[in-house]
Amino acid sequence: MVTRPISCSAGAAATRRMLLRHSRPINLPKRATASSPMYSPSTGTVRTITSSTSQSNNCVTTQRLRLPIQPSPIARSARTYHSYDHPPPPGPFTPAEASLLSTAYAHVPSHGFTPEALALGARDAGLLYISPSILPDGSFSLIRWHLHVQRTLLKGKLVEILGSGGGERMRVEDKVEALAWARLLGNETAGVVRRWQEALAIMAQPSYIPASLAELASLADEILYLAGDVSVDPSWYTKRASLSAIYAAAELFQTTDQSPGFRETRAFLRRRLDEAAQAGGAVRSVGEWIGFNAGAAVNVLRSKGLRI
Amino acid sequence: MATRTALRRALPSIRSAITHPEQQSRFLRSFSTTAPCPAPNPSSSTPDYAIPDPSRPTHFGFETVTEAEKRERVAGVFTSVAESYDRMNDLMSFGWHRVWKDHFVASLNPGFSPLTSTSDPLGPQHILDIAGGTGDIAFRLLHTAHVLNRNPSVRVTISDINRAMLTVGKQRSTLLPAPQQAALSFVEANAENLSLTRPLHPYPSAAEPTTHDNQGNQEQAFFDPSTATSSIPDSSVDLYTVAFGIRNFSNIPAALREAHRVLKPGGVFACLEFSKANKHPLFNAVYKEWSFRAIPLIGQLVAADRDSYQYLVESIERFPSQAEFRDMIVDAGFVVAGEGYENLTGGVAAIHKGMKPRAE
Ligand SMILES: C[S@@+](CC[C@H](N)C(=O)[O-])C[C@H]1O[C@@H](n2cnc3c(N)ncnc32)[C@H](O)[C@@H]1O
Repeated sequence: MVTRPISCSAGAAATRRMLLRHSRPINLPKRATASSPMYSPSTGTVRTITSSTSQSNNCVTTQRLRLPIQPSPIARSARTYHSYDHPPPPGPFTPAEASLLSTAYAHVPSHGFTPEALALGARDAGLLYISPSILPDGSFSLIRWHLHVQRTLLKGKLVEILGSGGGERMRVEDKVEALAWARLLGNETAGVVRRWQEALAIMAQPSYIPASLAELASLADEILYLAGDVSVDPSWYTKRASLSAIYAAAELFQTTDQSPGFRETRAFLRRRLDEAAQAGGAVRSVGEWIGFNAGAAVNVLRSKGLRI
Repeated sequence: MATRTALRRALPSIRSAITHPEQQSRFLRSFSTTAPCPAPNPSSSTPDYAIPDPSRPTHFGFETVTEAEKRERVAGVFTSVAESYDRMNDLMSFGWHRVWKDHFVASLNPGFSPLTSTSDPLGPQHILDIAGGTGDIAFRLLHTAHVLNRNPSVRVTISDINRAMLTVGKQRSTLLPAPQQAALSFVEANAENLSLTRPLHPYPSAAEPTTHDNQGNQEQAFFDPSTATSSIPDSSVDLYTVAFGIRNFSNIPAALREAHRVLKPGGVFACLEFSKANKHPLFNAVYKEWSFRAIPLIGQLVAADRDSYQYLVESIERFPSQAEFRDMIVDAGFVVAGEGYENLTGGVAAIHKGMKPRAE
């Protein structure tokens, strides 16, 4: 069994400072304005060029970036930091993707997140082995499907997870723990636990890192939202970053956990959440999730416009 | 060889341009006097492209000509450049076209089948490479399928409207391993109507008529539909590829409908084409400057055929944007994943893909 030092490292304080420092409004990467006049040497005329925002996850992230860090009392009551006010982003998959990926997903337990699973899924959908080649990211599309499906499943299982009252009498912390645990169990139900290290290797490819981290941030968002965390102060960012990191570490722990019912993973999750609560949000590397340096991860996230 | 002669003829002037830089500007100017003239705005009265009509106006670069004329002129362009075409491609794209083509083919992964399924329940894969020209894409597809994916059952049909291009491709294919040669076939067809085709009649051939351009130079007769002997059946193709070809078609919607017709349900339409690098205005400006001035010049030096390359550059400029072209693909009945396209090298080229959905 892999054991990892789980005490708060000295770096935690520094990370926290860094996180706080960046919980100010960040100048967003300059986005092309919707249309800008442009001289065309070909026709000798000024034309209007419409820029298309091609990255769908941009839409997801930019929605959350509007808030000043010290909201006035009015703003406080009017807006919150997370999903309450925002309609859910449009599903990130086209119907064609969904039909290919949903059938391929069933082959992940036996074939992993691989072209095999995609081809077998296409066959099940009455399509051809060549059909998955329309997917923009191949096997990574299948990973995104898993992350998306498991994250969105949480909402529908609230009663199951938090009890009939929807966790009315539970502390927010306990609800967070219950939801994170339910999400980890989702990996087992989907049969992907033994396939997850391969998935992490794919996610660590440079072109997939931003999307992977954005999905992790969305999960933390969702859990805090479902747990009813309504704090509107800077600690929300810290919480979200901590939760991302803790979830990532727990998920990595789970891939090698042989204990019945992933008992040890659950204990690990509890310990880490307790520590975080005591330290007021101590953070370990988010990047652990996909096995690379946290600094790089944070930079990538920031470049994507995420405030952490 | 014509190319080499042209190159040799052009070389002294290149050399003098390099050794006498003060002459260079004059040298360049002398080749760039024909500034592309803007065509009448086509968007004001968008014609209905649904029915092929040889007399309907279309575009030859920035000139407006009828569809029939365009077909003839396009055929002329590719005949005159077929031999030096590969070399030109390198110059036009700074060698990028090889990288793009490799990426295009790798992203399609032709011939892939899961190890766990013993036999291919869906039958051997049939790939149709439209506007396949000298075979660059088809040979790559074959290599990936036969060698990398160890699937020798995959067949590739190279089709083009121009017999000279196909003949060059056929000659090149003799260097391939025998099983790959056996899996290849060459078909003459206009992409806009794939129900009228015939097997390649090599060019030049004494038996076939040739046409003449307005200077009396001999041009190769492009495929004449009245000589058709066969057709590509409905729902018979797994993968339809077209690389650097579609912008030359007079009627793109008709070609897309034909692609949809010949593909099996689940079959994939994949297109690699020059596109719009509009996302990076500076890069775009530099690239446009390069393409409008330098490419025809290089064309003149290498292929001794400035007009042909002027046409190539202008046809790139005319081609719809990434999103517009994606919408045309969807209009033809395909479904897409994600945005439906992928930009290469800042949008100088783009890959579009669509899948023919299962009939409900
Ligand atoms: C630039 S070449 C591309 C060749 C090859 N696909 C490659 O990537 O190297 C364009 C080809 O399109 C062919 N073409 C033009 N119009 C066509 C049409 N209507 N139907 C079929 N082929 C056409 C030309 O004959 C020429 O061979």
